[in-house]
Amino acid sequence: MKLLIVDDSMVMRNHIARLSSDGSLPEVEIVGLAANGRDAVAQARRRGPDCITMDLTMPEMDGEACIGELARLLPRARILVVSALSDKATALRAIRRGAHGFVHKPFTEEQLRQALRELMS
Amino acid sequence: MSRRNLRAADIRVFSEAVRDFFAATTSESAEVRSAYVLEGDEAILWNDYNGLIEVDGGFSGCIAFSAPRGLLSHVLLRMGDQEFSDANHCDIVGEIANILSGSARRHFGEGLRISTPTALPGRGPCVPRPADRTAYAIPLRWNGYEADLVINLESCG
Repeated sequence: MKLLIVDDSMVMRNHIARLSSDGSLPEVEIVGLAANGRDAVAQARRRGPDCITMDLTMPEMDGEACIGELARLLPRARILVVSALSDKATALRAIRRGAHGFVHKPFTEEQLRQALRELMS
Repeated sequence: MSRRNLRAADIRVFSEAVRDFFAATTSESAEVRSAYVLEGDEAILWNDYNGLIEVDGGFSGCIAFSAPRGLLSHVLLRMGDQEFSDANHCDIVGEIANILSGSARRHFGEGLRISTPTALPGRGPCVPRPADRTAYAIPLRWNGYEADLVINLESCG
């Protein structure tokens, strides 16, 4: 499973990458890290990820707009929103645009891994 | 969202958000003390690194997390980071402010709009505070370090 990680926080991108590549999710191969929605769309075109973790509050192109773009570009890709904005209305909007799951920040290591397992199953 | 001033229950949301962040991210609880009102011209931000989120929509103002370098270095370490650069300290202090603001939005409703975080390194009164606005500080202790969450919001109504 090719994973693209999208978050405007470099620390958070690296954190998610470490949790996804420490051997607990052996099927995951990280193919890219993106700091905003535009970069995510560009990387998705080049690398064709199967799964994407997506922050929502980002500069340039925010997560909601990016989910819509990616859902059109890669309709089979699974998108997991990982965001501090986890109110019900935001979650519903993200799902309508094409997201498949939601993890709210702050998350524990196991909460993120479990959400990724469910996304990939 | 109805327009009103902050209440004790609103402040409690932030205290709980701080506890949740440290418990989930570092597996070590923070000791969160009682909120107090910042008096007079006390600076809103005053520690080594300050993460600032601007808020509008019903309430306006800012939410800030202000912490010493050592605390943030240890948070980075607990997150598995090995790079203790200024950039990473600014990044994590902004991300903490962002996460705490997310809790505020869950409480106040989606009408509350929150900005992407701004990280301000260095001590000093970085953000001017209107004299007629009440700001609250929530002090906390984690892993031997002291830090503060500052809530500087007022109803737009």
